[in-house]
Amino acid sequence: MPMVKMKCDELIPERYKHIYYTEKERSVIPACNIATIPGDMTERGCAFAGARGVIGGPIADVIAMVHAPVGCAWYTWGTRRHLSDLYTWATPTRLTNVAFNRRYCLCTDMQEKDVVFGGIKKLEQSCLEAIRLFPEAKGLIIFTTCTTGLIGDDVQAVARSVEKKTGRLVFTAESPGCSGVSQSKGHHDFNIQFYRQVRSLKERRPELKMPETEKTPYDICLIGDYNMDWDLKAVRPLFEKMGLRIVAVFSGNERIENLVKMPDVKLNVVHCQRSAEYIAQMEKDGYNIPFIRVSLYGIEQTCKALRETAAFFGLEERAEAVIAEEMARVEKSLAFYREKLRGKRVAIYVGGPRVWHWIKLMEELSMQVVAVACTFAHEDDYEKINARAPEGMLVVDAPNEFEIEEMLTSTKPDLFLTGLKEKYLGRKMGIPTVNSHSYEKGPYEGFAGMVNFARDIYQGIYAPVWKFQWGLDSTPGMKERDGLCS
Amino acid sequence: MQLKEIPITGIPYDQLYIEKIPAAPEYCRRPAELLPAGNRSVVVNPNRTCMPLGAMWAVLGVHGAIPFVQGAQGCTTYVRYTFCRVFKEPATIATASFHEDAAVFGGRRNLIEGIRNLVVRYWPELIGVVTTCSSEIIGDDMVSFLKMARANLRKEIGPERADGIPIVLVNTPSFAGSHVDGYDRASRAFVETLATTRNKPNDKVNIIPGLLYPGDIREIKHLLRHMGIEGIVLFDISDPLDAPLQPPVSLPYKPPGGTPVEAIRDMANSLATFALQPHAGQAGARYLERKFGVRAVVGPPPIGIQGTDAFLKALRELTGKPIPENLRQERGRLVDSLADTFHHTMMKKVAIMGDPDVVLGVTRFVLEMGMEPVALAGGTASKTFDHDVEAILAEGGYAGDPPLVVNGGDLLEFEEHLKQLPRVDLVIGNSRAVDIAKELQVPLVRVGFPIYDRFGYQKRAVVGYRGGEVLLAEIVNSILGYQYPDDRTHQL
Repeated sequence: MPMVKMKCDELIPERYKHIYYTEKERSVIPACNIATIPGDMTERGCAFAGARGVIGGPIADVIAMVHAPVGCAWYTWGTRRHLSDLYTWATPTRLTNVAFNRRYCLCTDMQEKDVVFGGIKKLEQSCLEAIRLFPEAKGLIIFTTCTTGLIGDDVQAVARSVEKKTGRLVFTAESPGCSGVSQSKGHHDFNIQFYRQVRSLKERRPELKMPETEKTPYDICLIGDYNMDWDLKAVRPLFEKMGLRIVAVFSGNERIENLVKMPDVKLNVVHCQRSAEYIAQMEKDGYNIPFIRVSLYGIEQTCKALRETAAFFGLEERAEAVIAEEMARVEKSLAFYREKLRGKRVAIYVGGPRVWHWIKLMEELSMQVVAVACTFAHEDDYEKINARAPEGMLVVDAPNEFEIEEMLTSTKPDLFLTGLKEKYLGRKMGIPTVNSHSYEKGPYEGFAGMVNFARDIYQGIYAPVWKFQWGLDSTPGMKERDGLCS
Repeated sequence: MQLKEIPITGIPYDQLYIEKIPAAPEYCRRPAELLPAGNRSVVVNPNRTCMPLGAMWAVLGVHGAIPFVQGAQGCTTYVRYTFCRVFKEPATIATASFHEDAAVFGGRRNLIEGIRNLVVRYWPELIGVVTTCSSEIIGDDMVSFLKMARANLRKEIGPERADGIPIVLVNTPSFAGSHVDGYDRASRAFVETLATTRNKPNDKVNIIPGLLYPGDIREIKHLLRHMGIEGIVLFDISDPLDAPLQPPVSLPYKPPGGTPVEAIRDMANSLATFALQPHAGQAGARYLERKFGVRAVVGPPPIGIQGTDAFLKALRELTGKPIPENLRQERGRLVDSLADTFHHTMMKKVAIMGDPDVVLGVTRFVLEMGMEPVALAGGTASKTFDHDVEAILAEGGYAGDPPLVVNGGDLLEFEEHLKQLPRVDLVIGNSRAVDIAKELQVPLVRVGFPIYDRFGYQKRAVVGYRGGEVLLAEIVNSILGYQYPDDRTHQL
């Protein structure tokens, strides 16, 4: 078995089954999506973060009502950079400074007495007040957390009652932080609950369906794109130029009325296949809507995605035209970066799917991926990683802080693509990082985004600061990576 | 994005044009009766977060200490995320990783295993166990769990090593108080657990800084050094959360500095305890006073002239040491700066938000500049805040309209009030006030926690005379930069 026994895991050997080297001949699947070891300094988040922060948050025109003590709401307020273009009015003549979904943070602020006596009354009152305060919101999503999950507040009853009283669309996302083993559980919860609620909503209110007159033969849904740093600006036009109509994006910068029309399309194009493939699968079972899995990172993969989507509708020629036009725009810049980045070694640590989305992209930039790690990947993610990975790449599932450090010291990458919490670890070791969750200066998707991504990688590796890190007495050109740890 | 060719610099932000789409055809006034936070149950834009964050902040300020959070993973990850955003540093915090089983059967197994795993891999000098709403609701009996965890450790690594690692329990259910209270509770828990004997007076003073940044703590140490007084700064985050980039680092990464455990044990022997921020640290100071007679000096925050004066005078009175000439010169320079700038600060209408002690300290300072506070929002509900504001206004001889005082409440009330006013010149607050200031089209001067949208605020001081100069300069320059035509600024 190509499993790896990291030195830092000698005393928690149950971690051994999570770490391996890739092999070309066979696909090794590590233990994954299982309970975290307490006290191992995990980087994982909670299910509530997955539901509220990742999938529910990007929806542009709904109120996110966090039914919890203040912290859960405060931490998810304006945190993840899923941007939107829908702004509410700040004053009679001015729109707010940031979009509606990141401008306000609403919560029931559960106090001790609410915990003891139940928070349902407070929740209902809060929802009614919120709708009065923000009449421009088209709907409301109630998120539960550990506190309200543990005391067993019946939020569905509240949702029905608020819907009856106000006529707004009210959804619930019950995903307490202590459910499941990571954020991934929250993605799953939201997908299932949203699908079911939309289904019953359409039965109750058929007028919300897409009218037959509006339908076109080229209707698609883009599933699992959250408009990080305006990714949609880079990819939406690609599909539209091919003559397709994106009815809804699940859920980046999307309006709730469009999300209700999701089951009325011809094809689902699934980008994030970890956090949102569930809903595509359910629509396939429930509404017979086929779906394809795509990757919109990197030139080669974006081309493949456009071609496959076009093939479904018989638009191959238009796809080729779009690809040719886009390639012409970026070729020169990418050639510059390919040259500069040739042979550089990269380590990637993200939630899960972006690892395999990016392996090909790094190869396109003539770089070499030496180690990857995922916070909440499942078996199918590892299959995809193995299919794309070079021989002998280190893979760590649900790494903890110590393992990340050991991964960096043993593989000695020139660049570490990672999120906000871990980038500072890499930085203290003198390894450049690029923020891979919210991006440095995105968007990174599609053709134009690829140039941004390459530029940020280049800026990371070539920043003058790294020359100074070896101290006062170092000699010019010293790149003593072996001195990384004492 | 209609570029013929994407240059190697990529798509600059200004090329990425985002058209703002209004959510409603026109502005409609929010219902007036719902604006005061007291009139509604929903909280919109809270001006505070939950208790565990304050407790974790405190633990990170102890040398080699690691917080262990008895709760779900998010409680840890979100707080680490916040710290990383603010301090631009790694934040090593362990979690018990509650899953469903813990919610059903309680968190005993998670705590015992978690403490063991943390100790054998990291060998912390101290563990600060921080509870959360989930563990408090389940009703985890933390005291007996910790006994079991200790017994389990003794079996594995021997009694001597196991007992050499103090464990401090801080109860911080999120459904009460705020991060400020969490820090306050930690200050009490630490002295109660560690400072257990008063055996030999040490002639030192204890400083509990409250939620101050590394730059502020360095300034406090500077004042002590020049007074010739040895201090014990409890929860000294100045080195751990502002560490140099100097590879090689040893694995696992352990941040440098912090208050040594031995120094905390010694706090019972000190002359006095200064809780610089009454809401964050008073509990620890009062405990030492009750238990060992260590005098508690609570507040005022040493911001501005009078705040810093009060701090130095209290030190002088306590130790009998004179205030040296170079600190008097620092004071003189701040006075000089006030004299150089009052034409631009007098009568300016200012709104201040943040943690209560920061708001109170800054309010006193802006009154020294001749400004007029129009709204003061302290995020943490406090028994003393309203009274403190009144006292500060009276003491500053303020005769204008009384400001709106939001005690607890939320930022919706604060911002809607500001939007109704005929004029506001300046907002002072943390990064949560960015949108408010932008929409009012006035400058924002960033002070307090959290500041995550600008660089370097955590490294510089606003306390002390030198910090006052920095803050004054920023306030004045914001006003000049925002409101003055260029030809007016040629002869300041």
